[in-house]
Amino acid sequence: MVKEEIQKKDNHNWEPKIVAFLCNWCSYAGADLAGISRLQYPPNIRVVRVPCSGRIDPIYIVKALQKGADGVLVSGCHPGDCHYLTGNYSARRKFALLKNYLEFLGIEPERVTFSWVSASEGEKFQKLIKEVVKGVKAIGPAKKLVKIESQRFEETIGGSS
Amino acid sequence: MNHIEKILREEAKRLFEEKKIDMLIGFEQGTLPLTATPLFITKSEDVERLVWNPACSVNLSKYLHGILHWHRESQTRLKPEQRKKKVIGIVANGCTTRSIIVHQQENQYSKDDILIVGVPCIGVIDIKKVQKRVGDEEIIDGSFKDEKIIVKTSKRTEELPLEEFLSDSCVTCICKNPVISDVTVGEPVEQASDNNNEFLTVEEFLKKSHDERWEYFKKQVEKCIRCYACRNACPLCYCKDCFIEQTKPKWVGTTDDISDTMLFHITRAFHTAGRCVDCGACALACPVGVDIRRFLKKLNKDCLELFHHRAGMDLEKKSPLSTYDTNDPQNFITEP
Repeated sequence: MVKEEIQKKDNHNWEPKIVAFLCNWCSYAGADLAGISRLQYPPNIRVVRVPCSGRIDPIYIVKALQKGADGVLVSGCHPGDCHYLTGNYSARRKFALLKNYLEFLGIEPERVTFSWVSASEGEKFQKLIKEVVKGVKAIGPAKKLVKIESQRFEETIGGSS
Repeated sequence: MNHIEKILREEAKRLFEEKKIDMLIGFEQGTLPLTATPLFITKSEDVERLVWNPACSVNLSKYLHGILHWHRESQTRLKPEQRKKKVIGIVANGCTTRSIIVHQQENQYSKDDILIVGVPCIGVIDIKKVQKRVGDEEIIDGSFKDEKIIVKTSKRTEELPLEEFLSDSCVTCICKNPVISDVTVGEPVEQASDNNNEFLTVEEFLKKSHDERWEYFKKQVEKCIRCYACRNACPLCYCKDCFIEQTKPKWVGTTDDISDTMLFHITRAFHTAGRCVDCGACALACPVGVDIRRFLKKLNKDCLELFHHRAGMDLEKKSPLSTYDTNDPQNFITEP
């Protein structure tokens, strides 16, 4: 994050930015359903669509926090419902370790959230986002792992490609 | 020369003469007192250089992996009938054999590629602790006798008890004897099957508040000079392209910003999750004394408690992150 952006975080009307990794087959469709059903939820999330929750390397989550995300949400299919049969079982083990580990190091447990949302659970998705945003707002802006950069991230890697 | 060394040399000589091994990885006397450096011998005449004492602190399976990998690469361009098979012997104590098991679980090499010469281990010393004890004086000479370290400095000769200067990982060791071995040297030593103090550092740390823990982590990481000695000493860090050096995408920035160093430590620790055998090689290799083991131990503890897995104890068992159980605990999942 560039300095000006970090200073903005101290502003009283600060709104958290939350990166949401959603699995293509369940949670992304669940978010879609929430949209189609006109279910309102806070606009603080930035969705990254991934093929499966098992696709998420823990480094993505840590990197998102480093790049200035105030929270990270990971959501996939319910155990047993994975499109790739066992992707979320493997993911569950990784996330169980990561969640404990980040908390062990001293990162607030509200920063990183894991959940299961199926394609038919639009309402659950709405509730989940509300809860996550509420949790992150309560602990305030992320500062612990955030990197202060002189340039914007997009400039350093040469665009979005 | 101690008793084990004598048998070790005899065994090594026999293995070379019977043409059971093409190379033996062991230790020889280091150039500095109270040190030992890895030794790679291919001839039976060289076995006299082999030593085995508490200064042998490097985890040799790192080299085993490297040599076997390098040999396999060298054979890929040859015709199948010209290819040579090589068997590498390795002098291994408890934690080294555990690392070898982890390598085999990850299909890095097969059982036939190696020959394990198992030796019992009474622990390895942390030379930094000895240096701290003698203060500014230079250690001129040192040797081991029974369970004592005899240190000779420019001013005096001192006899130090070995157990006070053991590496931190050896204090809570539960695996002093080799887990697997083809040839065994010496008698197995007594070992605790379960050490209650094993995760004491983790439990104590967890009693602190989030901010205190973060401060401690930050203080430790601030010391780090990013020499990557911990990665280079770790037998598990064998990836051809480590995430540190990857540039597309560039995970770890090449800045002096502390968050980059933190990212390195968090990710490297996570990459050893369920695989770390707690040999302490990373902590011994660290030139600035970062408390790396405390952060690795937490993952070991979780793997044991959540998935009932201790790395490198059973060749048949899969590493916890490469398998799953439908009844795995999921109390960390948010259900709105």
